[in-house]
Amino acid sequence: MSLTVVKGLQSEIYVPITPPPVWTPATKPLNEMVIAIATAAGVHLKSDKRFNLAGDTSFRTIPGDIPSKELMVSHGGYDNSDVNKDINCMFPIDRLRELVEEGFIKAVAPQHIGFMGGGGDVKAFIESTGPEIARILKEEGVDGVVITGG
Amino acid sequence: MQRAIEEAGIPTIIVAALPPVVRQNGSPRCTAPIVPMGANVGEPNNIEMQKGILKDTLKQLIEIDMPGKIIPLPYEYHAKI
Repeated sequence: MSLTVVKGLQSEIYVPITPPPVWTPATKPLNEMVIAIATAAGVHLKSDKRFNLAGDTSFRTIPGDIPSKELMVSHGGYDNSDVNKDINCMFPIDRLRELVEEGFIKAVAPQHIGFMGGGGDVKAFIESTGPEIARILKEEGVDGVVITGG
Repeated sequence: MQRAIEEAGIPTIIVAALPPVVRQNGSPRCTAPIVPMGANVGEPNNIEMQKGILKDTLKQLIEIDMPGKIIPLPYEYHAKI
């Protein structure tokens, strides 16, 4: 006798589903890699438009040579006090530059990405914002991306 | 976001304060220092800690050999609230 009495039966309780794996192998040593930062922490230029704290699927590009004091955060989903003291807590651009000086990585990417993570319109992030950010980084010839968030 | 960039053909790694969330969302590579949300790369103005977390994360970008691995990092910062 089969243990399955009713085929295709599903739980009525919504449970999160982990998506199938994605994987791009790293093929270069670190000292030959151009590295970009993408952060979900809501980082952007002080001169840029702030994120809508109630939910925002847009993103901001951040030039790789920007002085870190010209950056700020607008994000309604976490305590901003540490990142307001030092943007490198979530957007370690000064540390990345130091690693280039040390010869640990090859270069800082010409553009980096700030967006406001933590939920919202997940469908828009998956179908539109994510692929658009990926396209920018790919066109720039970025070899690896460090993401902060989660 | 990480998955979209990875799908575009660029290897990625996330520094996470909440590794269980990252696991649930299907991240390909992750490092997890002991940090609060909002200071994933370490204590404000602690250059040594931030550089250590960033360097160890970049090393794992190369070393992690299969998707879904989360590597704990030996750094600890607790926000004073």
